Amino acid sequence: MKARPDKTTTIRGPAARGWVIALFAIILAAAFVVSLSLGSVSIPLKDIIGILLGKPALKESWTTIILNFRLTKALTALLAGAALSVAGLQMQTMFRNPLADPFILGINSGASLGVALAVLAIGTTGSILMAGISTAGDLGLAIAASIGAGLVLGLILLVGRQVRNPTTLLILGLMFGYAASAVTSLLIYFSLPERIQAYTVWSYGSFSGVTWSQLRVMAPVILVGLAVTIFLPKPLNALLLGEEYARSMGVDVRWTRVFILLSASVLAGTVTAFCGPIGFIGVAVPHLCRNLLHSANHKSLLPAAALLGGALALLADAIAQLPGSQFVLPINVVTSLFGAPFVVWVIIKQRKGRTSFSV
Amino acid sequence: MKKTTRLLFIFLILALSACAAQPSPQTPNSADSAPVLRSFPIRYAQHFTLEYGDGYKKLTVTQPWAGASEPMVYILVPRGSAAPANVANAQVLETPARSFVAMSTTYFPFLEKLGKLDALVAVDDATYTYNPQVREKVSSGAVAQVGGGAGGGSVNVEKLLELQPDLIMTSASGSPELDAHPKLLEAGLPVVINADYLEQSPLGRAEWGIFIAAFFDMEEQAARDFDALVRRYEAAKALTEGLSDRVTVFTNTDYQGTWYVPGGESYAALLLKDAGARYVFESQPGYGAAPLAFEAVFDAARDADFWLNVGFASDLDSLLTMDARYAEFKAFARGSVYNYNARVTETGGSDYFESGVANPDIILKDLIRIFYPELLPEHTLYYYQKLN
Repeated sequence: MKARPDKTTTIRGPAARGWVIALFAIILAAAFVVSLSLGSVSIPLKDIIGILLGKPALKESWTTIILNFRLTKALTALLAGAALSVAGLQMQTMFRNPLADPFILGINSGASLGVALAVLAIGTTGSILMAGISTAGDLGLAIAASIGAGLVLGLILLVGRQVRNPTTLLILGLMFGYAASAVTSLLIYFSLPERIQAYTVWSYGSFSGVTWSQLRVMAPVILVGLAVTIFLPKPLNALLLGEEYARSMGVDVRWTRVFILLSASVLAGTVTAFCGPIGFIGVAVPHLCRNLLHSANHKSLLPAAALLGGALALLADAIAQLPGSQFVLPINVVTSLFGAPFVVWVIIKQRKGRTSFSV
Repeated sequence: MKKTTRLLFIFLILALSACAAQPSPQTPNSADSAPVLRSFPIRYAQHFTLEYGDGYKKLTVTQPWAGASEPMVYILVPRGSAAPANVANAQVLETPARSFVAMSTTYFPFLEKLGKLDALVAVDDATYTYNPQVREKVSSGAVAQVGGGAGGGSVNVEKLLELQPDLIMTSASGSPELDAHPKLLEAGLPVVINADYLEQSPLGRAEWGIFIAAFFDMEEQAARDFDALVRRYEAAKALTEGLSDRVTVFTNTDYQGTWYVPGGESYAALLLKDAGARYVFESQPGYGAAPLAFEAVFDAARDADFWLNVGFASDLDSLLTMDARYAEFKAFARGSVYNYNARVTETGGSDYFESGVANPDIILKDLIRIFYPELLPEHTLYYYQKLN
């Protein structure tokens, strides 16, 4: 289907943008249903609805599969996709860099280091911290990852207030990331193969490892992180035109920057803590939204990114489950393998020479 | 050009092995005078052969690593005697070996059985060693650590050159970036590839004790030990053969939604089968572990009687904190969860993965005791423990 010029002009109106966002919400709802109904074990849609309404299923194990496996997985994918997309959008705007992703400042490497310490160093170090993490139960990995991500975030915020130039901040973030990755590699180098496997699997990323007790922590944090972005459209729009312009518009650039860093990092860090490093969605969805909405206004971009991000994460996970087979694929394989050609198609089809960052 | 030389080389090996395979009526005592090779009986192991020639032994690792295209040939000659002619493509080593470097912990139990732990001069890394004698030797400095084992890391060639061992035994993956042996060969060190881990049959894996013993000229003794082991294993296996009602078992744990399920022909699955259990995934083809969805495993194994090999967990609570959904398994609710970590060190060394290779009969008896306690009332669990 070719985009007609008249359609392009109508979509620029705020009302039309509202319709596109409503469409994204419908896609999200559909993706949620698809995610619930597809999996290794085939369960008829009729039974799924019955189980959700609290009726006994044909097979007892189906109830557990739907309520404890697929529902948790779908909610996790939805929240993670939304969080990563919004965080990615914030980072791309703040650094005015189309290649920025939620992890550009090394949040990911910090989280990985935390998990590597928890998974690989237990047994070889008798430290109280590690013992504490291993007894923290199913929140152990998440706590470890949060500590790692928080450490990197703290460093960035500390430096972020001193440094004026965002590019300097970007380079510093990269350096923190390298340092954290080096320590992680060192831990892997000296570890048991089975523990390395546990770490490697975590690093593949997954939505299915999250249980209800973990969701009870993850969901509120992400929802709060998403909610505070209500205050962000204006400063983000101003930042898009450059810091000087933002300043002239009366935006306190320094505090805005800290606020954006904090919000994006908490979102990205929480997802990484619970699901492992999930790539691609955070960098691709903001581009998709800008292109589909023909807009750089964050008032519509932020909700659009949250909705589309959630929907794409759900669909990617549905593919990763390889419905009908017993096998599963790592989620990062699917997002990149299926997502990359799709994004290329959308951008080439819609861009026509415009840059995503022009207003 | 390079390809043709390689083809010629392969052809030469084939021609030589064809000559070597000539049957011979000779007895072992007259091996010295016989011009043709006589093979030593290897019954279960698929990946090595041992033959006797005129004044030498020929050990062939037919598959040094998964997917290897060429065998590794080792010619073993008595110390001081000359290497036979026509073995240009083989490595020549003198026996009996006086010093031994073990790059895997699985060689320790065999050395111990042969009384040859004293020959050990270096290991790759003692962190994950269980054998108390070896750990003692490492901490006293009698045995050096040189790195380069399967755990990764580069091998300390300088230290090995200084030690000048008679034999370095290691496993190989086939990728030169990961393997220690190409570098060691380049340095002129006597390195031998042991492919025991490729054997899927528990007895086949244990038979590699004969491979190790050959370097000490003790293969006859090792073969007698192995025959006794086979008899013990078969006797235990026979206990479960008449059973009509078989327990069902599943293994391993979930990692973030992916459950690695060993194939029906794997080492673990064969042990379960010989112990008279029905492995839930016995129809899963091959011996590699397949990445299944947690829900697929849950659907298949929810009602299984026993749950085994649960990674690092040492009690039911720690299993539950990994994932609360484990409580939904019937085996968990009945408390029928067993793990192979009864014998582990503080640093993570596990005897199941170390001496278990040499003692499949004990693993089998552990399993039978778990599944059908009335069949082996006297046996106490050795490698396995029940999680409480």
